[in-house]
Amino acid sequence: MIDYHALAPELLLAGTVLAVLTVDLLRVEKYWVAVVGLFGLFLSFIPVLTLGFCDTLTFCEDTGTRFLFGESYAVDSFSLVLKALFLGSAFVAVLLSVGYLESDRFWQGEFYFLMLSSVLGAVVMASSRDLVTIFVALELVTGPTFLMAGWRKGDPRSNEAMLKFFIIGVLSAALLLFGMSLVYGTTGELTFAGIRAEAAGIRGGDLEALFTVGVLFTLLGFAFKVSAVPFHFWTPDTYEGSPTPVTAYLSVVSKTAGFVGLLAICYLAFRDATFLWGPALWVLAAASMTVGNLAALRQTNIVRLLGYSSIAQGGFILVPFGAAVAAGVTDVQLEEAFFATVTYLLIYAFMNLGAFAVIIAGGNRLRSAEIGDWAGMFGYAPGLATMLAVFFFSLAGIPPLAGWFAKFVMFRAVLSVGGGWAAALAIIAAVNSVIAFVYYAKVVKSAFMDPAPEHVAVADLARMPTVPSLQFALVLTVAGVIVLGIFPGIIAEIGELTKTFASGF
Amino acid sequence: MTVTAGWYMALAASLFTIGAAGLLLRRNALVMFMSIELMLNSVNLTFVAAGRELGVLEGQLSVLFVMVVAAAEVTVGLAIIVAVFRNRATASVDELTGLRG
Amino acid sequence: MLDQYFGDYITVAAFIAVGALLVGGGMFASSLLRPDKPTKVKSETYECGIDPVGGGWSQSHIRYYIFALLFLIFDVEAVFIFPWAVRIEDFAAAGLGGFIFVEMVIFIVILLLGLVYAIRKGVLRWE
Repeated sequence: MIDYHALAPELLLAGTVLAVLTVDLLRVEKYWVAVVGLFGLFLSFIPVLTLGFCDTLTFCEDTGTRFLFGESYAVDSFSLVLKALFLGSAFVAVLLSVGYLESDRFWQGEFYFLMLSSVLGAVVMASSRDLVTIFVALELVTGPTFLMAGWRKGDPRSNEAMLKFFIIGVLSAALLLFGMSLVYGTTGELTFAGIRAEAAGIRGGDLEALFTVGVLFTLLGFAFKVSAVPFHFWTPDTYEGSPTPVTAYLSVVSKTAGFVGLLAICYLAFRDATFLWGPALWVLAAASMTVGNLAALRQTNIVRLLGYSSIAQGGFILVPFGAAVAAGVTDVQLEEAFFATVTYLLIYAFMNLGAFAVIIAGGNRLRSAEIGDWAGMFGYAPGLATMLAVFFFSLAGIPPLAGWFAKFVMFRAVLSVGGGWAAALAIIAAVNSVIAFVYYAKVVKSAFMDPAPEHVAVADLARMPTVPSLQFALVLTVAGVIVLGIFPGIIAEIGELTKTFASGF
Repeated sequence: MTVTAGWYMALAASLFTIGAAGLLLRRNALVMFMSIELMLNSVNLTFVAAGRELGVLEGQLSVLFVMVVAAAEVTVGLAIIVAVFRNRATASVDELTGLRG
Repeated sequence: MLDQYFGDYITVAAFIAVGALLVGGGMFASSLLRPDKPTKVKSETYECGIDPVGGGWSQSHIRYYIFALLFLIFDVEAVFIFPWAVRIEDFAAAGLGGFIFVEMVIFIVILLLGLVYAIRKGVLRWE
């Protein structure tokens, strides 16, 4: 029979999605929809905790990794950690959206419905262990975000963001599916465990070429989803044109979901094909870091700057994958690489959501996303300017903010592999960290040192309050970035838990 | 001459290529959208052919999911095109050049 | 078996051929008998009534699209009901009939909620 405890987070979240839809039909103030959504997210977080601490709870029968529906769906420490991350990030993303949607005439009920559906997809994604489940989960993540990207229906820029995002999103789904169908055709298996077992027999056989094409197309599909260079061109446009809370959601939840799929498929299904995905992801990692950072250097719009910055951060997240390029990479080294990617994803979520929260708060006051207009912010909004500095320096990887630990484990993973290719990747990553520091610091310097431009009414701006929901989001993320930066042991411990995943079943 | 699964795979690959070419070469959002549908359906053909060849049901089962996901995408896509058309009165992607840099 | 299958198609083809011959022969015979005086007026779409104006394409109301989209999504969801309907007897025989039935009820209730939503939002009203 079905293990309902293991499925409880998904079931509660699905119930919340339906509840949100129903509340939208009642004649109540629309912010109640957000309240129900937040409550539902909190509620679905509880079973994630009870499952995670199962061995210490009396009512819970600890059975280790729980498999459901054959081997298609697994609830293990990796999936629980990622589920917690998705639910937490979604909580912050909803908080960011409340003030934004209240500020103008937007359709509110549908927005939260779509966002929570997308989160449900991400939560399912963390547990997916077969090709069809992972595909359906990925589409559930991206489908609603197409519409959210175009939420300002009357604004041509929002329209453009939506249409570009949609066409690229569907194209990547088609590429991914084609790859999956070839993998299925050659191995005859849909589950990751089955593919791994069958793939060993394919090497050197007639079907090897077809299998290789399948693997590469699958990676290509994911490369679009995580906006790795050269499949990134939609990202800056979509990020700039979308409403800013949606951009925050896209750059954290949707992107992390893509990485989770990539992790599961590379480390489980294609575990014995590191010679295929290692080099491919090495190239993507190097290209994403370099192109993302160089393009970010010459941006004048702060949202667009964060768009390119998130492409570059995606490159850093891909670096441990690329380290698998070395011949004869051992299981221990792969575990280290896996740990590094998961840790980076956890920290990235905090600092990027925080950075977007600051941009939304600043954008509410200034009604502008041009970096020039942000000059002198310290003068009239010292709190906001300080938080801008915290998040941007964390993204740059300056201790004692959380970002440094993410970069540290990333370098440790790639250096532990050793060899020429891994070392080359480490050097590229190091150079890029320096480039990244330049543009992050430029924005912070402008906010602290430069005088405010003349058309900015400083006196009015100083009096403007920040919306309470936004304040809450800022406090959560700032606390996360600082605490995790000073006590990285917490995140390392969580990352350690997921390592067992990388050593297979 | 018997038609083996390989022929179906080849047909599916050709359809996929035609779809990809259509997506890259055409500039009307609706036609691009139809090209994507062609690509998704070629995937369905691969799944069915592989499932039939291997004598298992999973191939056909996957097709059901792909079909429903494709239909959901069609719904979202047409809604998006209608929304864009209302503002612009054109479905050509070449005219969408507001965002650059 | 296969010969029988194609044999049926030969019958269909024979009927099509005979039908085409009858209509074509009749028209040929009448063209021999009738007077033939083509004028410009005769080749217009309608000999009486007003001249056709405007293009052949006309915009349809936006509501058509919403109806079409709603139909599309509900129609395709039915795909999931087919395998269920085929297999439910086997599950019932195994004593899982109630469970499988409730699963489908949940699925259909979710679809119905979508329909109720569409009605409440006034999408299905045709004015």
